This record gives sequence, C-alpha cells and structure tokens, in this order.
Amino acid sequence: MRDFHYLEPRTVSEATAMLADHGEEACVFAGGTALILALRQRMMAPGVLVSLGQLEEMRAIRFDPKEGLLIGAMARHNDIARSKIVRQHYPVVAEMAGGLANPQVRNQATIGGNLCYADPSTDPPACLLALGAELTIKGQHGARRIPMDEFNVDYFTVAMEPGEILTQIRLPPPDQEVTTFYRRHLRTPAEHRPVANLALAVRNRGGAFEDVRLIVGAATPAPQLLDGVQDYLSGRSVTAEVAAEAADRAAEEMFPISDGRGDEGFRRQVVRALTRRLVAEAANLDWKETE
Amino acid sequence: MNAFAPGLPTPQVTSQEKALGRATYAGDLKIAGMLHAKLLRSPHAHARILNVDVSRAIALPGVRAVFTGDDVPQRAWGVKHKQQHVLAREVVRFVGEEIAAVVAIDEDTAEEALDLIRVEYEPLPALIDPSQALEPNAVKVHPGGNLADEIGIVRGDVDSAFAEADIVHEETYTTHSQYPGYMEPMATLATTDGSGKLTVWTATQSVFLARQRLAEALDRPVSTVRVVQPTVGGGFGGKIIEERSSVIAGFLAAATDRPVRLCLSRIDDMLSGAFSVPMKIRLKMGMTRDGRITAKDVSIRADCGAYAGLAPEVMLVTAMRSDNMQRLEHTRSHAQLVYTHTMPRGAFRGFGGTQMAFALNSHLTAMADLAGIDPIELHRQNAIRTGDLSIHGWKIGSCGLPECLNQIEGAIGWTEKRSRPKQRGVLRRGIGMAAAMHVSGNRTMGNWDGSTIVLKVNEDGRVVVLTSEADVGQGSNTMLSQICAHELGVPLSHVSVQTPDTDFTPYCLGSIASRVTINAGKAMIKAAREARETILAAAAEKLGCDAIDLTIEDGVVQSTSNANHFAKLPDICRYHIFRHGGEGIHIKATHDPDTVMMDGDHYGNIAPAYSFAAQAVEVEVDTETGQVRLIESWLSDDCGKAINPLAVHGQSNGAAVQAIGWTLCEELQFEEGRLMNGNLADYTMPTADSVPEMHSSIVESMDPNGPLGAKGASETAILPGAPAIANAVFDAIGVRITDLPITPEKILAAIAAQKEKRDA
Repeated sequence: MRDFHYLEPRTVSEATAMLADHGEEACVFAGGTALILALRQRMMAPGVLVSLGQLEEMRAIRFDPKEGLLIGAMARHNDIARSKIVRQHYPVVAEMAGGLANPQVRNQATIGGNLCYADPSTDPPACLLALGAELTIKGQHGARRIPMDEFNVDYFTVAMEPGEILTQIRLPPPDQEVTTFYRRHLRTPAEHRPVANLALAVRNRGGAFEDVRLIVGAATPAPQLLDGVQDYLSGRSVTAEVAAEAADRAAEEMFPISDGRGDEGFRRQVVRALTRRLVAEAANLDWKETE
Repeated sequence: MNAFAPGLPTPQVTSQEKALGRATYAGDLKIAGMLHAKLLRSPHAHARILNVDVSRAIALPGVRAVFTGDDVPQRAWGVKHKQQHVLAREVVRFVGEEIAAVVAIDEDTAEEALDLIRVEYEPLPALIDPSQALEPNAVKVHPGGNLADEIGIVRGDVDSAFAEADIVHEETYTTHSQYPGYMEPMATLATTDGSGKLTVWTATQSVFLARQRLAEALDRPVSTVRVVQPTVGGGFGGKIIEERSSVIAGFLAAATDRPVRLCLSRIDDMLSGAFSVPMKIRLKMGMTRDGRITAKDVSIRADCGAYAGLAPEVMLVTAMRSDNMQRLEHTRSHAQLVYTHTMPRGAFRGFGGTQMAFALNSHLTAMADLAGIDPIELHRQNAIRTGDLSIHGWKIGSCGLPECLNQIEGAIGWTEKRSRPKQRGVLRRGIGMAAAMHVSGNRTMGNWDGSTIVLKVNEDGRVVVLTSEADVGQGSNTMLSQICAHELGVPLSHVSVQTPDTDFTPYCLGSIASRVTINAGKAMIKAAREARETILAAAAEKLGCDAIDLTIEDGVVQSTSNANHFAKLPDICRYHIFRHGGEGIHIKATHDPDTVMMDGDHYGNIAPAYSFAAQAVEVEVDTETGQVRLIESWLSDDCGKAINPLAVHGQSNGAAVQAIGWTLCEELQFEEGRLMNGNLADYTMPTADSVPEMHSSIVESMDPNGPLGAKGASETAILPGAPAIANAVFDAIGVRITDLPITPEKILAAIAAQKEKRDA
C-alpha cells in the first residue's frame, strides 16, 4: 500500500470541498471493504482519502410518510438489516441487507460505498431498482437527485461526476398492493458474492400481475430491467407454465457476464431458475414440485 | 482425578494467549535493524532468464540489496530430487517461481522496488497438461525427462482373481489440487549473529527438517543454523519442507548479515504453490456376487508440477495405503509421477489418501449397487480386523472400522433414508457414505520414527516440557500437558510445553504423518513416570519411608499407609537439589516404535498403529442450479483413546469441512499455468455459515501400541468426505461425478446428459 493523506471532514460540504481541492488525487473512503483491498494490491494509489466516517447525519435512517424511506448513504448493511424502520416499511430491503456478503462486511461496509463502487457481484442495486429508489448526490455546487434506473451505467461505472458524493437513498412510500420479492443465488454455499440475483415487484390483482418490475443483477454488468418479461407477465394470470415461460424469456433477454464465477450459459440457467421460482412464489405457487 | 485427565475434554493450553491476541507468530517478531523482503515472481510458465537488470531497484532510496539467481548457492536442494535453488537460476519452470528478492527498510519500499527490476526472458514452450508429459515429443521440464517417479506393486495373482470375480467394474477418477488454506500465510524472520550463525523463526511443522533443508539450500553446516518455531497458524502439510519462502528468508539474512523479515501476502502464498497433488486414477475391481472383493488393479498418473518435493511419497500412499483397509489378497498398482510447468504440489493433510479414498469409495458404492448390497454392508464385510496382517505387511493392532460403520449408519438413519422413495422434485436429497484408514506414524525418514521428551521439574514443583514436535494448532501441546499432569500428579496449569528450537529442544521429526500423539505421547508417559520415580525416591529419603507407599496427587506427595507422611512437591524438588551431590530434576526419555521401514517391494509394518474413519452425509441437489448443499454430516473416527475428545472433535469436524471445500467449493482456476483466483474472495473455502452442524463421534479401539491406547486423529477424518458426498449426489439424482470438484456446471451437464439419454 502506498502512503496517503487521510482526511476526515465534519460536514458534507467540507467533504465535497476537499474532493474538489484534491481533484483526481482524492478518493472517497466510505467503509473500505473494497477500497482497502484495491490499495493493498496497489490497483489504486490515491494521494488523499476523504473519509465520510465522521458524517453522522449520513448514517441516519428515517421514514417520512410523504417522502418515503430515507437511508443515509453511510448506513452500514447491518444498520439497514436491523433497522426497525426498514423492517416495518421495506422488509425486503432489510432481508437483502442482512444476507449480503458476510457478517464482517455487513458490519463495516456502507450502502453508499456499495452503490458507488458498482461491483456487479452484489445485492443492493437490483433490489433498490425494483423498489424505484432515487439517489441524492451532492457536489460542490449543489445537490441533484437521480432515479436508480440511471445510476448504474456499466461494470464498476455509475452516473456520478468526480468530486460528487452519494448522500442518500430514497425509497418512495410503499404501495400496500405491491409486493416485492428478492432472491440471491450463490454458486456454492461457500460463496459470499451472488452469481445472480433477481428482484420482482408486482401488483397482484385477483391472480393477474400488474405493474411488474423484474430486475436481474449480479449476472449482468449492471442491473438489467427485463422489459420483455415484464410485458409478458403484465395482465397475465400466473400458472406454473407461465412462470416457466417467463423464466425462459428472462434467460434469453439478459446480457450475462462470463467469468470465473460462472460462464454465460451457467448465469442464464441460474437466472432461469430464479425467475421461475420468484414468479411462482409471487403467484403463491409451489415451485419445488415442478420438474 | 483432575478435571483435564486424559480422556476428558480439555480446552487447548494455547487458547488463552490466542484469544487475547498475545500468541506470537513469526510475522509478529521484530528485531532492531530488521529489514523487509519482497519477491519477484516469474510471469512465464517456462522461460530462459536472459538478463535481470536490478540497477534501478537498487537505486531506490530505502532498498538495501537485491538478489537474483546468480547470487544464490549453486547447490540444489530438494527432498530426494535435488533440483531447486534459493532463487531460480537460468530457467523458470512455473508461473510464480521466485527469480529475485529485494531487501529494503520496509515492505512498501521493497514492493516498489520489484516494479523497477527489468527481466529479459526468452519464453519457451510450456508443458501444462500432465497427460502430455510422457509423450515422446513433450517439452522437457527437467533434462532427465518428465517422469519424476514410478511405482509398481504386485501382490498375489491379480489376473486369476479377476477371472474368479462375478462382477468387474472399471472407472477413471480425477482429483484436483487443494490449497491448504491455513489462517497464517508463510512468515519468517531470519537473522545472523556476530559469529555468523543463522537463526530462523518460521512457520513450520518441523524445526529439524526445516534446519536440514536450510543447511542444504544455503550450503552450510547444519549446526550453523538454528530454527525456532513461533506460534503457527495451521500447516495441513504445506509447512513441512516444500514451501520455499523460509529458505529465501534465511539466504537473505545471511547474505545481508541483517535481520530480514519475509511475510507472504495471501496472494503470494497461493502463488507459491504448496497445493495437493492432482491425480488421475484408473481403478478396476473384481467382486464375487456376495460381496467379497477378489482383485484390485490401480493405475495412477500424478502431477507434481515443476519440482518433485514430497510428491513421490504422496503418490506411494495413493498407490497402496487404502489396500490395507480391507482383507485383500490380490492387488496391483502402477503409478507414475510427472513434471509439468506448473507450481509444485505435494504434502497435504491425508498425504495422498484423499485422492484414492475418492476413487475407492465411489467405486465400492457403484459395485455395491451392481451387486444389490448395501454399501455399508460391503465395507463391513471386507473390512480388515484387529489382529490382521494386511496385504502390505501392516500389523493391525486395533481396528474400529466396523464400529465406525455402525455409528454412522445409526446416526444418520441410514436404513430408513435409503428406503424412502426417490424424490422427483426440483430439490432432491440423497445419502452417501465412505470409509478410510490412515497411519499413526510412518517409519520413512531414515530408520527412526522416535520422539524424545526432556522434562524438567522446577524447584516449585512445576514442569517444563521440551519437545520439538510442533503444535501448529492441532493441540499436541495440550495432549502432552494432559499426559504429563496425569502421570506426575500435578495440575494441568503447572505444565508448560516449550516452543521447538533446534538448539535447545531434543531432535524430533515434527508434526507429520499423524505421528505426534502416538510417538511423543509414549515418550511423554515414559518421561513423566521416570520423573515421578525420581521424586518419590527423594521423598522416601526425606520422609523416611518406602517409595512404594507414596503417591503424588495434586502436587502433594502422600503416603498411602501413613497419613502423617506427606510433603508438598516443591519441598521435595528443592530437597532434590539442595543437598550434597544434588541436582535439578532433568529427565530425558525417547520412544521409538517397534516398526520397520518398507522394503524394496513396499512391504512392511511402517506404523505402530492405524486409524480408521467412516462418514455418512445427506445432500440436497438443486437440479435447476446444480448447487449441492450438505444437509447432514456424521463422521466417526477411530483414533483409539481420545486423550482430548474436545480436540478430536475439532480435528474431525475441521477435516470434514476441509473435505467439503475440496469437493464442492474450492477450485483453483488456471489459464496456461497461471493461477487466476489466487485470493480468498475468488478461491472460496467453506465458512461457518456454509456448512450444516457437523457431527463427529469417536471410536476408542484402544491400540496396544498407543499411549493409553491412543492413535492419530488429525488426518483420517479428511479422507471419506469427498466420496461420501459424491455417493450422496448419485443417490439423489442418479448421476455419478467422477472428477472433482463437483461443480454446479458438472451437475447440470450430467442431468442434461441423463435426460438426453432417457429421451433418446
């Protein structure tokens, strides 16, 4: 690891000012579980680390009936998993955060760090995308909000400018008629990173699916909205056959990653299985007995 | 009886210092003026080193020295094959081979300097695939060719025995390399003193074997090297004598005449090799209709990578050890070890046993199915028994294998689960089992497998034990302390086992071949009993009574016939010194077991005792994702008397989990000999949350040659895991995976092929 200066701003505006001052030399430290590995392997050698660790306001999690669930970007995964507020309003988010990676990472890594790093082999992006999250990003010249749909651009690439900080994740007030399902799949039980994950939000109107949002993550360079499958499922009464058809379509529609954790064919197969299971589950069908 | 007497669960005597973070590992040590080393590794599998320009690296402020292959001794080192140098000279033979070393004031500077070394290579064609190694036109890894070793063993009349068989089954199995995955990557601190003597603190399983190798590699007399073992964070075979970094550290300290610390990062540790030997095993067996094994024919091709190391010995175990588990009369084994331009492979927990256990147990379950016999029954029927002489001349003084089989059969509910209807759903469960044997000791490194204990009783009645058998986490210090405290009649806390140090502790071979409990345990009993006699003789003299009437309990010498005759142990120990002609109590005892070295035909009783184990598992196979999940695991270990049942369960469960890792989770990914997943995020070892509750039970077969009846308990338990899982997968989905690891892709492909066959 090469030497660096470690800065601890006390306010967000101080943090953005520091990032502006040091330009490309600076790097944000938001938990460090990924960054420290990169530094130790000398894949990165920033001269300055700007730690957000002292920005307590960025750890807050609160619920506002009009705004929805507001999660500070410096909330750790375990803060989210254990938060009564999150569990009450968005249990699927608490469950997702509680199963992410491993206990050490959940106790140290933050949701904001996770999103900004944009490693595809992780859980939050797909789940938050399904829930229609909106992100607040602050720079030296003010704040802006962007929908989650526009955030993940590619493999390790997000829609942020140098010097900007992700400060908050907002989930709109939950629609009681919409249910969200989320499932990750690990290649083997010993893995801590998903080989694929899937988030499904549906309004179940008397057996027929409406307002379907289906997102595949971890198996694709960035979370991918499966429009074709969404269209196929919309307005349809879901049977085992429909779930199987949706699964085949999902496997077809996705743009998979191919690497040491699983090649393209394997990723498609896993997404096929996940889709069939999640769609069946959303329709209260038993997926286990189907062959 | 004290609370931690042999047989009672005893927390490790090292646990407090470890829990407090006070245990001192090699990487924790500091000496004034200490320098730090980093190693430059070859990016090529095979290349000629044309030129190494270190000028820019030396010029970097903080760099003290840079060494290359030109600077190291010409003498080659190795186990039997002398073929390695401290740093590669002229040719590199695997990706990761060390070609230069930088010594600098800190690790970051040393690392920085590595980037400044310019190496000119002439890349040469590389031999990566072991199946090509013996082709006539194959690229040669060494001038003598690619055959590193060859073994042929024939007993009985194999061909006639096959003719006698009702069922003959033949199959080929392949096994892959596993990383030992110890918590502590290799770390060494080495320094010279004013006389030029070299002292090396290193993570090792054997200080004396380490010293021997350092002396050879650095081409200096043995007595000019001192090796000390600090706390070691696991070895699993990888820290015996094949790792290279301690040799490099010793060289750097001697060459710079300064203390040099060389700690490998995890990535470095993995690039160094020290993986298990991958093998391809063709197995053919004959059996009568009623389940008697008549013949066994084995042929093996093993890949040791670029250097032989201990791989010939590993392959010998694969070739013949499992034959001794059954009453066989006709066996044939032919094994070839080949070089490739890949990292060296060698010793690993089980020492070649896991590879053959996978083939044999997969095979036996398949044959049991062919004969319509329960596989447990097949094992039971053919199992060797107490008092038998095995086909290779092994005297089986105790065999708890039938009891191990009974235990796992009952524990997992074998009969009930076997008779349930086959599941047709997406998730399918199945059960499988396997059995194995291992040595406790092995008379193989010269005609001695002994162990020496030096025991000192201090003037306060407390005991210091000197041994060079290494506690690398498996718990031998606790075992020795329990025996000593029990035999001597002192509390466990009054015994302290000192760290191995070649200048101060007696010659021992170290923690290999599951030999420490049986051999050092025996020596410990002998030493403690002699100390007890010495103390009682002195007490008898002081108290004016007969030694025969005296006992020691909880640190007090007490007469059994006269309650008024007693003395505290410290009083007696002081009395032993403070009198004319007195001295401190210093006892030395050696136990060398009554075993023989194998003869030229690999025949002979090499170990004082043999351990057995059996395991049954239930798995659930996800037929859509190919994931195999363990539901239950029951392992039964016949380790003779369990001196510390807590430690035995720890070893059994740890070994079972390591076997799960090898079978289902861990896979080294290579591209043209280059390791692609050399880190623990991408090379995924099982973690606590990835395995079910692990169950282990103990069979105490009470070996007549063991200390209090004990045998080795660290290695047997890793053997049955892989085949038990493979057999359970077969039971679940009806397809047999014969090449490890059992990956989701292989499961899915096998299911697809099965479906295609059914639909055709």
